[in-house]
Amino acid sequence: MVGKNCVAIASDTRLGAQAMTVDMNFPKIFPMTDHTMIGLAGLATDVLTLRDQFKYKVKMYHLKEDRVMAPRTLAHVVSSTLYEKRFGPYFVEPIVAGLDPRTHEPFICCTDTIGCIDFAKDFVVVGNATENLYGMCEGLWEPNLEPEDLFETISQALLNAVDRNALAGWGAVVHVITPERVITRNLKARCD
Amino acid sequence: MDMLATNPAVHPTSTAKQAAFSPYADHGGTNLAIAGADYCILASDTRQSSGYNINTRFAPKTFKLSDKSVLATAGCQPDCNMVVTRVKHSMKGYKYTHNKEMSTPAIAQMLSIMLYQKRFFPYYDFNILGGLDEEGKGCVFCYDAVGSYERVPCNAYGSASALIQPFLDNQVRNKNQQGKEKVTEFDPVARLSIDEAMRIVKDAFTSATERDIYTGDFLQIFIVTSAGVEEQLHPLKRD
Repeated sequence: MVGKNCVAIASDTRLGAQAMTVDMNFPKIFPMTDHTMIGLAGLATDVLTLRDQFKYKVKMYHLKEDRVMAPRTLAHVVSSTLYEKRFGPYFVEPIVAGLDPRTHEPFICCTDTIGCIDFAKDFVVVGNATENLYGMCEGLWEPNLEPEDLFETISQALLNAVDRNALAGWGAVVHVITPERVITRNLKARCD
Repeated sequence: MDMLATNPAVHPTSTAKQAAFSPYADHGGTNLAIAGADYCILASDTRQSSGYNINTRFAPKTFKLSDKSVLATAGCQPDCNMVVTRVKHSMKGYKYTHNKEMSTPAIAQMLSIMLYQKRFFPYYDFNILGGLDEEGKGCVFCYDAVGSYERVPCNAYGSASALIQPFLDNQVRNKNQQGKEKVTEFDPVARLSIDEAMRIVKDAFTSATERDIYTGDFLQIFIVTSAGVEEQLHPLKRD
């Protein structure tokens, strides 16, 4: 979700195989640079593989280019990494959220499992509870939210959406990325 | 061609065909209802579609039953119409036998039975019955296709229900909001003024129209109060 000079990225913490809950505290959002995070929803083994792969690519870029990777660049790295496996894809839908390292301009995007990028000015959603999340975000989001308001908006959107989805929930984690700091909060949620 | 003419077994009209009858269609559309302390609001969009086609932009699927009750239907349109016709018919019978209007909870129970009678060839129809109960309180009853029903403070049914229902949980029932009084099934009445509820209804539908292709065109709102039923029509996006 985009705010005024800030972005927020949030996920639930459940890991499950269909209806069976396997883990109630499974992280799906990973920091890539100081101002960029990536969220990976889908097959857990691919989540871990891609996390490592993206981390590696971001670090190599930093060493080769001697500058921090911008979120827009990372989006294209994500896209091409996934499209490389066009005919045997990773079962993962990623979200990239961050601030441009120089201008601090907010950036968010998501892609499908084969890397088709969806740029958005407001919010993007992926995973299980997308329909519920679209409804919540359309209803609650407004432009130019300050970091604290953005936190409340994204939290309410996520919590109420996952409460209506049997395959999501069991807690939530929210990161608000501002030019100065990243605010991370773990939310309590219904565990049923 | 020669072989076709001489060998009747390979002629297209003589080969076996699988006959199929599919009695159900989904015509999309969304309904929403909120019960307040002394009012009830029912809202539905008026688009009727089949797949990617829009059949018509104005096909109302919410109907006034009496001065105190309104029935909103979504699913297969002919089934919806049949249910509404039958409910109205039964209400007339009730009035002639007992010389009084049927109360909303009574209609609720009757509708449940009516749906369950078709348990093994159900109406493809998701109903929300709203209005005022015997005490004058707002009431909303929501049903599944075979008549299982429940009295709730607010409900969304139809193609955009997944989009609207969590929004109602949050804004009407105050779920996940610390320090705010929750609206539970035990006292299923929203703590909102009519104006606040109307704002939420319109917000919910403009949001749903953005993302759901089966919802749009017009928003029909029925406001039930002790003064009777007021009907409003608002435009929605037509794309």
